[in-house]
Amino acid sequence: MSTMQFGIFSVGDVTVDPTTGRAPTEAERIKAMVAIALKAEEVGLDVFATGEHHNPPFVPSSPTTMLGYIAARTQKLVLSTSTTLITTNDPVKIAEDFAMLQHLADGRVDVMMGRGNTGPVYPWFGKDIREGINLAVENYALLRRLWDESVVTWEGKFRTPLQSFTATPRPLDGVAPFVWHGSIRSPEIAEQAAYYGDGFFHNNIFWPADHTKRMVELYRRRYAHYGHGAEEQAIVGLGGQVFMRANSQDAVREFRPYFDNAPVYGHGPSLEEFTEQTPLTVGSPQQVIERTLSFRDTVGDYQRQLFLMDHAGLPLKTVLEQLDILGEQVVPVLREEFAENRPANVPDAPTHAARVGRRTRKEVTA
Amino acid sequence: MRLVVVSAGLSTPSSTRLLADRLAAATGPFAEAAAGGPLAEVETEVVEVRDLAVEIAHSLTTGFPGPALGAAIEAVREADGLIVVTPVFSASYSGLFKSFFDAVSGADKDALAGKPVLVAATGGSARHSLVLDHALRPLFAYLRAVVVPTGVYAASEDWGAEGLAGRIDRAGAELARLMRPAERPDRSAPEPVVPFAEQLAALGQR
Repeated sequence: MSTMQFGIFSVGDVTVDPTTGRAPTEAERIKAMVAIALKAEEVGLDVFATGEHHNPPFVPSSPTTMLGYIAARTQKLVLSTSTTLITTNDPVKIAEDFAMLQHLADGRVDVMMGRGNTGPVYPWFGKDIREGINLAVENYALLRRLWDESVVTWEGKFRTPLQSFTATPRPLDGVAPFVWHGSIRSPEIAEQAAYYGDGFFHNNIFWPADHTKRMVELYRRRYAHYGHGAEEQAIVGLGGQVFMRANSQDAVREFRPYFDNAPVYGHGPSLEEFTEQTPLTVGSPQQVIERTLSFRDTVGDYQRQLFLMDHAGLPLKTVLEQLDILGEQVVPVLREEFAENRPANVPDAPTHAARVGRRTRKEVTA
Repeated sequence: MRLVVVSAGLSTPSSTRLLADRLAAATGPFAEAAAGGPLAEVETEVVEVRDLAVEIAHSLTTGFPGPALGAAIEAVREADGLIVVTPVFSASYSGLFKSFFDAVSGADKDALAGKPVLVAATGGSARHSLVLDHALRPLFAYLRAVVVPTGVYAASEDWGAEGLAGRIDRAGAELARLMRPAERPDRSAPEPVVPFAEQLAALGQR
């Protein structure tokens, strides 16, 4: 696969289309997410990631069920999450669900850990939100062992102990799914990603660039500190949010009602203010290319770029058109431009095949 | 030393700003004297909350401050002493005044920790003067600021009566005595971090 991966991530919100006053049913939205994932593969994108939510108006509560279905209908697409709740899910179930998905998808699987943004999910799953960071730390420490060691005896603070437990199935080819740690504000999570030599995904879409820069710098510095490689060899992913038409005024005109009524930022700053202060780009494909290339100035050469395309009530037809533009006019240029002047020691985006190859080489050398 | 004045008056001219300026003028010379004369010159910066009203509202929905609000928050963080003045609305500080400090503590929950703060308020009648002790002091106590003993409340009638000037001077002198040139953290320094091994060890994990 290519040096950098490009893809999309979906929140899976059921939102009223402000131009028609109609919201999709849950069934329509779930099928739309699948159609969007299939389209991503069709137009040559590399990754589809789904969020995990346990409250309306969101539909994707069971990511591996959805990703398993998509896996059966795709050939190349890497299936991922944005994010998997490491705080409230049982790490044993995460280990097994994603290993199972790995087998079904022939390794086209990775996973992004996150703590979620909905407070009541903690009590709904019997957890204490004040322990959010500690849950992320302990649960992930256990998950790592469940994937990396075949027999695990373990004791912790938040879960019943395990005696001689083997998570099944074992990871495909003995190599666990690559893990990204997603965080917006918590330096502890950047530190966690660095400690394990895992990827760090900064979901920068609602944040000013200087904040993203500080978080990624922290991760890179600590990644090098823990001896996984040089700072520029750390594995970084970023979000992005775009709406495009050939003519930028058309893009602004068409997207404005969706922006103005969007659940996350609607009825707040203007579209113009928000595009200035965050990565949101509404305009021509060329503007999206330029804006996305500028991310490299903020965080250095990176490995994964995911765009949020289906939200705020945009109809499926529009989202599919957007993916056509993204896949045909934007990503090919981004691949070329990002590849140019990319230092040789900057690693490619991690894939299962490459990680299996690396492990095999290590074994041969040893 | 840096003295920052947060004035939440809404009209122009405003009696809230008038009181804020009087308090700043009373604090400056005392602060210079307390720190050993004019060598320790006091720079005063005024934050007019009214000018930030729209950015404050937006920060509530977006979660991050716009450029002007960001600069005001930075000024508050860097202050060696703070004078805060609000009009009384519905028996308390104004909502905009509170939202400003919500934005400050949202950006940095320790922004006011240990910082000397002089609280003051204006109102149409003296009946609301306990707003200083029943609303402002608890707010700034929560933010872990050091609130000076004398708060200054100015009702309309005080602008034509004796006593206000004396209270202003006393409050200014008290604030000045508490102001010390703070050691400012280097904001360009890398983000501080708790080593991960400590986090694991705290949970008995490896």
